[in-house]
Amino acid sequence: MYCVKCGVKLQEGVEQCPLCLTPVWNPEQKEERRSYPDTLPQQHLEADIPGAVALTVICAVASIVTLTVCLKLYGKLQWGGYVILGLLLFYVIAALPRWFREPKCEIFVPVDHVAVALYVLYICLKTGGHWYVSFALPVIISSCIISTAMICLLKYVRGGRPFILGGFLLALGGFTVLVEFFEHLSFGFRMFRWSLYSLAGFGSVGLFLLIAGMIPSLRQRMRKKFFF
Amino acid sequence: MQKYWYRLDTAALIFPATRRRNWANAFRVSACLKEDVDTEILQQAVDGLRHRFPSYYVTLRRGLFWYYLEESSEQVRVRRDYAYPLTFMSSRELKHNCMRILVYKNRIAAEFFHSLTDGRGGSIYLCNLIARYLELKEGITIPCEGLIRDLSETPSPEELEDSFLKNAAEVASGRKEEPSYRLHGTREDRGFKTLTTGIVETRALLDAAHRYGVTVTALLAGVMAESIIAMQNAEKPRRRQRPVKITIPVDLRRLYGSETLRNFSLVLNIGVDPRYGDYTLEELCKNIYHQLCASATRQNMAGMIAANVQPQKLIPLRLTPVSIKNAVMDAVYRRSGESGGSLNISNITALPLPEVMLQYISRMEFIIGPQRSYPNNCSVLSFGGYTYINMIRNIRQSELERRFFSRLVELGIAVEIESNRR
Repeated sequence: MYCVKCGVKLQEGVEQCPLCLTPVWNPEQKEERRSYPDTLPQQHLEADIPGAVALTVICAVASIVTLTVCLKLYGKLQWGGYVILGLLLFYVIAALPRWFREPKCEIFVPVDHVAVALYVLYICLKTGGHWYVSFALPVIISSCIISTAMICLLKYVRGGRPFILGGFLLALGGFTVLVEFFEHLSFGFRMFRWSLYSLAGFGSVGLFLLIAGMIPSLRQRMRKKFFF
Repeated sequence: MQKYWYRLDTAALIFPATRRRNWANAFRVSACLKEDVDTEILQQAVDGLRHRFPSYYVTLRRGLFWYYLEESSEQVRVRRDYAYPLTFMSSRELKHNCMRILVYKNRIAAEFFHSLTDGRGGSIYLCNLIARYLELKEGITIPCEGLIRDLSETPSPEELEDSFLKNAAEVASGRKEEPSYRLHGTREDRGFKTLTTGIVETRALLDAAHRYGVTVTALLAGVMAESIIAMQNAEKPRRRQRPVKITIPVDLRRLYGSETLRNFSLVLNIGVDPRYGDYTLEELCKNIYHQLCASATRQNMAGMIAANVQPQKLIPLRLTPVSIKNAVMDAVYRRSGESGGSLNISNITALPLPEVMLQYISRMEFIIGPQRSYPNNCSVLSFGGYTYINMIRNIRQSELERRFFSRLVELGIAVEIESNRR
């Protein structure tokens, strides 16, 4: 049995040529003689334990040194609180996922946002600011929603990449306007000082991606250029 | 009891450093028998070879300054094969064993992490494993000729040596190479690797090679280069193209008379630059053949060996912790290790086996996995009058295989195709 297109001899029973995918029509079709079983291996992803341990030790040592120095010099935490909580934030972002065999971005991104929100709350309370509820919290929540939504869409929706990325860039442009709006509410700054520029930049690229998603030839060309 | 251990040989050093969470450099040699394999007898044969081939029954360990191989206290278990060859060898697995023995129906396959040995060493092990299996199963005596070793002996020091150290030149040759054209495509899910085997008559392949006055390796590399050039032509204009180079491993045992069972091969990047004009297939084959002849000399290879050996001798580098070495070696590998070639063609030609074994074996194959940065690879082995050309890929597109095998058909070589394509 030969492929009519490539001219190569094919295995008994195959339904299409493995090279050019031309269907095979054979009235005396026999059962396919398979050279490999169907069993797929289990995924063996591993946690980066040495990296996690190293980062844990570094963060712990740096925190202890900071605490000791502050207590020796001032008898209280003073600036040490910023450093220690900053290290904790770094730990949550950089070290925590390494303990897991298959860290899920859609879980760790919200966790990181919660950590950032708590750290910013500490700064707000320490400095006696009144900008947490009106500025920092809504900005962090918006950032969390946009980034988690994009990660979930990229991970679980097959295809439609230009639409997802285009939508993300448009949302990012909208996010910058939102940041400026909350800035205006909290600190009384004038609106539209800078956010319109970023909205124009993100928006135009986002719109381009949405259009590219609708035109197959342009999408193909972009896939070829930006393949990684 | 104290476990034996080995330093990694010069070529092996790079492989632990360049591993990734989903990629490790490994290869497979396999043989199909005329009857289904008895796994219990095969397990006995695997266990029986431990004392003769101790350098393969090892685990990968990490020292402060270097990785090393240590005797494995665990049995290498015979396992059932998977839907595709060369499934990922994880760090966890390498801490138990760096070699796998897999069985499917009448096929016995041995897969090796590349730090243990190269294709030649792996095929010597497989041939001895089959010989031992046949002795146990069929009750025959197989003479120690060709690749078959005397299992009652212990390995000689020459078999366990790092032959690179003995054969390095005083001056190292340069590593710099212009980056070559990179094949690409849509990655398969879950690391699936599609294997397409082209079975051709060795005589037909030799005749075609002789028509052009070149070797089989040069002919296959020429056809492959022509296919890749055509793919690049379809993708970008000539002035923006890159050289098309085929990476061809050279077995150094023949050049230097080494007996080592560990790694002793180096790769040459041979090819042409399509920006300078079109090539006919004959021009490509001859060009590659002459480049190969001019490069694969004792003196040239000694210079290349020196380029790998000399950095190892620098005391500050030796005293650098392994994690930092890993990062440096990884960067070197990215810059000069894989960038110089578009694809590998690894040909271990025919394996000399005793006559008595041949009646029990129907075919033998050699498969190398895709590289870290390029998705296609090709490996070749001849057995029983047929040559098995294995093309493996971790992308969905079969364009390269289609062009390559169709071109062989156009040259008058009948090709039979097998695949594990889903």
